[in-house]
Amino acid sequence: MPAWRSLNNFDWILFLAILAACSVGLVVIYSATTGTPSAGAFHRQMIWLLLGIVLMLLAVLIDYHTLAEFSPVFYGLSLLLLLLTLVYGHVVNASKSWLGIGHVQFQPSEIAKVSTILMLAAYLGRERVRGLGAVHFAAICAIIGLPVLLIMRQPDLGTAVTFAPLYAGAVFIGGIRVRTLVILALIATLALPMAWGHLKPYQKERVKTFLEPTRDPKGSGYQLIQSLIAVGSGGLFGKGFLSGTQGQLQFLPEQHTDFVFAVLAEERGFIGAMLALGLYFVIIYRCLATARAARDRLGVFLAIGVVCTFAGQALLNIGVVVGMLPTTGVPLPLMSYGGSSLASTLLGMGLVLNVWMRRLVN
Amino acid sequence: MAFEQDYKGFQDYYEARRLNTRIQVIQVLFAAVLVLYLFAFWYLQVVKVDYYKRLSDNNRLRRVTLMPLRGVIADDEHRVLANNRIAFNIRLDREKVADMKAFFPRLAGILGVPEKTLNERLARYRGRPAFEPVILKEDVDLAEAAYIESRRLELPMLSVEVESRRNYLYGALAAHALGYVGEASEDQIKSDPSGEFELGEIVGKAGVEKQYDADLKGVKGWKQVVVNSLGREIQEIEEGRKPNPGRAMRLSIDLDLQRALEEAYGDEAGSAVFLDPNSGAVLAMISRPAYDPNVFAHRFSQDTWEGLVSDPRHPLQDRVSLSKFAPGSVFKVVMSIAALEENVATPARGDHCTGLWRFGDKVFQCWAVRKGGHGYLTMREAIIQSCNIYFYHLGNDMGIDRISKWAKLLGFGEQTKLDLPYEEAGTVPDPEWKRRAVPRDPFWHPGETISVSIGQGALEVTPIQMARFAAAIGNGGTLYRPHLLLSHEVREGVEEEERQDYVERRVPLSPRTIEVIKDAMWGVVNEDGTGGRAKIAGRDICAKTGTAQVFRASRDIDADKLPKDKRDHAWFVGFAPKDDPRIAWAVFVQNGGHGGTTAAPIARAVLERFFQKLDVREGGQQLASVAVPQ
Repeated sequence: MPAWRSLNNFDWILFLAILAACSVGLVVIYSATTGTPSAGAFHRQMIWLLLGIVLMLLAVLIDYHTLAEFSPVFYGLSLLLLLLTLVYGHVVNASKSWLGIGHVQFQPSEIAKVSTILMLAAYLGRERVRGLGAVHFAAICAIIGLPVLLIMRQPDLGTAVTFAPLYAGAVFIGGIRVRTLVILALIATLALPMAWGHLKPYQKERVKTFLEPTRDPKGSGYQLIQSLIAVGSGGLFGKGFLSGTQGQLQFLPEQHTDFVFAVLAEERGFIGAMLALGLYFVIIYRCLATARAARDRLGVFLAIGVVCTFAGQALLNIGVVVGMLPTTGVPLPLMSYGGSSLASTLLGMGLVLNVWMRRLVN
Repeated sequence: MAFEQDYKGFQDYYEARRLNTRIQVIQVLFAAVLVLYLFAFWYLQVVKVDYYKRLSDNNRLRRVTLMPLRGVIADDEHRVLANNRIAFNIRLDREKVADMKAFFPRLAGILGVPEKTLNERLARYRGRPAFEPVILKEDVDLAEAAYIESRRLELPMLSVEVESRRNYLYGALAAHALGYVGEASEDQIKSDPSGEFELGEIVGKAGVEKQYDADLKGVKGWKQVVVNSLGREIQEIEEGRKPNPGRAMRLSIDLDLQRALEEAYGDEAGSAVFLDPNSGAVLAMISRPAYDPNVFAHRFSQDTWEGLVSDPRHPLQDRVSLSKFAPGSVFKVVMSIAALEENVATPARGDHCTGLWRFGDKVFQCWAVRKGGHGYLTMREAIIQSCNIYFYHLGNDMGIDRISKWAKLLGFGEQTKLDLPYEEAGTVPDPEWKRRAVPRDPFWHPGETISVSIGQGALEVTPIQMARFAAAIGNGGTLYRPHLLLSHEVREGVEEEERQDYVERRVPLSPRTIEVIKDAMWGVVNEDGTGGRAKIAGRDICAKTGTAQVFRASRDIDADKLPKDKRDHAWFVGFAPKDDPRIAWAVFVQNGGHGGTTAAPIARAVLERFFQKLDVREGGQQLASVAVPQ
């Protein structure tokens, strides 16, 4: 099927929603960083956005079956990059998660995200499974587990956590029996106290702080409290462009990365926050619609992998901003400052657009 | 594409349906979380908006108090005694120093302050926000301020702060009248009803500075500033109020007289106060030992302060209104007035002094006992010679009730209401007082009346009471409230005289009594009496000397050979000129020995200066009035 005919089936709603979310993100980054030490963020994000859109369109144009065929290559390359990062990476905030080529710095873990989704979909798309056998289960664990292990070595727990929704989505759509699901849930509940013992002190601190933010208002509870103040003081209509005091005056740390949504809520108020939430809803809804409309299993798992990763990150990030989840350090896809994350998210969205465009069997 | 056949289509309708169902489950799950978030935003941004708005404002808005300039204090001729000057403090920005321990030795070298002192000063700020600068060195000179300011690149953590500081132009001059200022104490802040005091605010602590603090301190202003998370000022908000400077104040003190007094007083301890007998205005006052009020303006004056407080000579105590002593022979004037007014004696009453008088089982002496007594004396001669025997007998005839009645009428045993923060009332003893004050021995003994008759015993007076008493004799019986405030500024540059009625009361004295007393007091100075050293030809100075006993010397010991702290206190109290008095005073010298020897010359020095100025002023007036008819 020629590419120009497929364009008739292009999902314009999803595409425009993505562009809208990115634009909103740019505006908020501009407002949150003007006059602060991070003032260059807007221009860098702009360049990454253009690069990301090119990558996204590339991912749309090449038939997803072709991409899936080469998935082991992409997957292998990402693992290699992750290994290189462990050796040559730059240390930022105590974790070695950046790799530099010349002046450009990027996070291989973000690339690994997309290639893992592709690899997983390629595997599950080839198999015809009814229920989920032990072999499949093990394979899913291995495909996701390898990059996750390497990322946790950096250590970058936040990024590692974003693979969890992907895993859950793959297992659930892959056909796990409801009975097995219930048993797994029980085991997980019982294992939780044991996992607590393996957390690092700062991670325990974050969870404790989440449960009781006023415990240490100057220390680890500070971000949480400042985020709530930013959101709450925005009111119905917000303080206006460039007028958010929490972000502008740097009371809110990470104002243009992990807490970009708090700045948005402060400057644009409840109305703005709802419109942004609406955008995310549209994007998630269109991705799920793509999964339902996909013409084969590969398409289903690609769309599901992307949407689970995307929605998982988005909901986790916003949950932190409104104080419903502990601080994790997960960026808000499409809006947070961060080139690698933006590019990898756009790449993933390209795959979904690809599946939608080729949903009809001719 | 060729790869499509590698991937499986859906096995059957059931598989497609099952996938569909599970995708819908995910969809519902995500939608539910989004709705949950919707409610979270609603709760934070609509329900709790006021709460978070307030927290946000607390975060970013800081109210900065703007301190007004303190009112200037001037003397009666508008010569400034206390004003404000610019002071430079060197401050340290703790946020800009990575390693305080490594930096301090270098800093100690730059500032010339020992490391230990710097550490102490830094320790005062423990627990304060890190952005708050630490004052490391106070009140440096312009050269040092410029040195630090010009090295901002090298030493970005140091800055120079400019503040206004109280400045007493003449140091210790009139220190007890002016008082001093200092940071408001925690008690002061707590007990202030208006709740307007702030930590570190400068308030009057003593003297006029304390008495008129409300006028002098002015009205604080404030501004609202936006700060960032580091506490730095980002911008100033329009809202706010400018501070109103304090009102300038003119005192009745005359700088020339005050200087003459300070010079004449020398190193003695004690006090002196000079009044205008026709208004009660204080023309000069001194209390020694004194202190330099400028030292209190420093933050790091703890050592100086403790030194002054623990000094056994009590330099902080205002001896004009707070020290009370026996009036000694000065009280003989009170005795004479009482006897004349109560018709116990006439001026012609005669008595014979042999130097000794046996009363009951006690022997009372006259100071002239060694030369065999004064012989025969009338009242006038008894005052001039300050004969004890004469007044023992007079007191015995009069009785304690009439003595204490007249002492109280003449202003003793009560506060004079001088406009300074604290004042002692002194004691005028009588049987009623003794019953209350001495439960151990509640009965009045006749011998005590005899002691009181020559100004000893339980009698206690303050120098300001003495000066007011002298003024009342001079002006014919009016007791004025002594005061330091002459006028104060009502608007900027507009001054208003205090038009208070300073008359406390008029003592009913017959002109005859006043004539007799004035004449006797004139004789004390001008007729070879005990106060001859204060004589100034043509000025008709009237006074009475007094000696308050410290140590009951036996008749064999020469009083002048006693150690200094065992010697008697000296009084010299009077007014001048005799007719139409223009000045009245009380000079008190602690351990000064005899009043005529040490206290009289001090009064004389001030009086000379006073009359010199008076002549210039009135001479000028006469010249002017002569010039008019032309």
